[in-house]
Amino acid sequence: MIAYIALAMVILLRPDPAPGLLRSKADARQIDCTAISEAAGSQQYPGRIKPEPPRGDFIDKRAVICRERLMRAGLRDTRDEAVLSTLRTQTAELAAAAVAQRPDLGARSWLVEAYYPSVQVSGKIRFSTADALVSQGVPVSDRTPVLAAGDIDVITRMAPQQAYPAACARYAATGSLGEDDVLLAVMVRDPRETILHAGLCEGGRWSWLR
Amino acid sequence: MVVAALIPFLLAWLGLAHADEDGVAIQAELDRVRAEIAGEVHLAAYDLVDEMAYGWINDPVFAKPTPVVLAEVTVPVGLGTGMAALIENHIGTVLTQNPRTNMQLVHCPSCTAVVVHSGPEGTVVTRGYDNPRVLEEMGDNTGKHALFVDFEAEGSWLVMRARLTKLTPDLPIVWSHTLASSASTPSLLREASDLKSAAEARAEYLDTLQSRGPVTIPLRFAVRTYAQPWTDQGTPPPPFLWLQTGAEIATTDSRAWFSSLVLGYSFIPQAYQGIMGQARIYRLLGGPSRSLTRPNPYAYVGVAAISVWGPATAAFREETLTADELLTDSELAAPRNTFGALQGGFDVRIGNRVGLGMFLESLPVLRNSNNIGQYAAIGTLRFQTFGTEVTFCF
Repeated sequence: MIAYIALAMVILLRPDPAPGLLRSKADARQIDCTAISEAAGSQQYPGRIKPEPPRGDFIDKRAVICRERLMRAGLRDTRDEAVLSTLRTQTAELAAAAVAQRPDLGARSWLVEAYYPSVQVSGKIRFSTADALVSQGVPVSDRTPVLAAGDIDVITRMAPQQAYPAACARYAATGSLGEDDVLLAVMVRDPRETILHAGLCEGGRWSWLR
Repeated sequence: MVVAALIPFLLAWLGLAHADEDGVAIQAELDRVRAEIAGEVHLAAYDLVDEMAYGWINDPVFAKPTPVVLAEVTVPVGLGTGMAALIENHIGTVLTQNPRTNMQLVHCPSCTAVVVHSGPEGTVVTRGYDNPRVLEEMGDNTGKHALFVDFEAEGSWLVMRARLTKLTPDLPIVWSHTLASSASTPSLLREASDLKSAAEARAEYLDTLQSRGPVTIPLRFAVRTYAQPWTDQGTPPPPFLWLQTGAEIATTDSRAWFSSLVLGYSFIPQAYQGIMGQARIYRLLGGPSRSLTRPNPYAYVGVAAISVWGPATAAFREETLTADELLTDSELAAPRNTFGALQGGFDVRIGNRVGLGMFLESLPVLRNSNNIGQYAAIGTLRFQTFGTEVTFCF
């Protein structure tokens, strides 16, 4: 009797991340899960996952690590959430691509700008990209290139394909972006997308990175 | 006719009013959840700040004390500025208490203010630290550095980015760093004046974990009391005091499940003696693993075999005791009774050392005893015994 009760408790109360009897779909979506080896699991969670016996085990065990997302669904704009969730990865990739594609610009002073509909998120993208560039070992400046109000009025009426090269040319023409400066601009090109794009502006010439 | 024409407007007005109320309720709920999340993550944010300061102590950015302006602290999108104020205060505390970081926090109102500068190239509106030329014209020494700190919730990670910018016209970033902490990582709660690295904190945690092996030896003091009988004729047994010890075996490191096997002895001179054997299975409630810092509630079920003897144990019978039986028991052979028991209860374990518990016990062979009543019943299972216990683990 006791054994049956214990078995039923083990089955019912096991911490399974999948939706089911004890976990709703909404709760299941709130967690990020990854499967790792037993050895890695005991290394990362020493008090919770038993290390593999020194002589091995009869069963190949794997640990599923589930972490709850910090922000609940619905608290932030869906696109902001998608961009912010992958911010570290995306900006690191862009910075690495920029430095790898233009190694000749390594000694110049790199500036970063982000173009995103939300000012708050735009600041986050800029911060993260600048940090990723510093990690790549290039000199980075906190300076912000500026344009005159008339330039901005014209440029914001253009399609993205023309607007960024035009802005780049104006930065160079007005002296806002010097000969020793490189601007790495990060943006979303379509309001529906969540992938960040980037382009480089140096000497008034614009080139797309991604 | 006029009333009929007004009905659609009235309905529309009622609908709008209802929608407004819904909107207010949703906003209130969102604010509540935001406050809850900010409360949850601010300790993790403190840890990241401590880690950053610890890094500066071991690998200083500046060779000598350097004035630094805390230019901006931003918190995850969606959370309020109250959290930013808390973190600003914590950064101030940590840097003040750790002068070896060589970061000398200075107040610079013109650095954080919005400044408007008109020149031949145009009018530029910026914050002071974005335009060091203006700061210079205002007479503020630009030999300072500005510290920017940003926190963001990226999936299950709280990420902190920090950078130091020299307030010269070129605004070079002289130092930048990213640290991350997952939502499931417990806060280190380090002393601001005695910082340690995450690696050292982990080593301490492992030491604590290793001090608890898979087997622990419990020493338990238990008191069993028996329910008053149904009728006035019955004589209930006295409370029994037990001293128990044995072994507790955890099946996993998390100690979500463990079992115990203990033997017990009870002795009150001139009244009774007893021995017992008991097996239990425990299940942790309210968490995937036993916490070292918080109380850990467990539920358990178990079985016991109890044998008692002595003058005071005559009540463990089905029939009502008579005066003759009492006299016989006292003067000739003391009665001896052996019976089985089923248990269910709760136990709260604090750290690896102490447990406080209570349980109900059913004695099936004494189900119809005239000497013992019941505290509770589930179907035909009557719980005649209520027990409390204190456990010390070694």
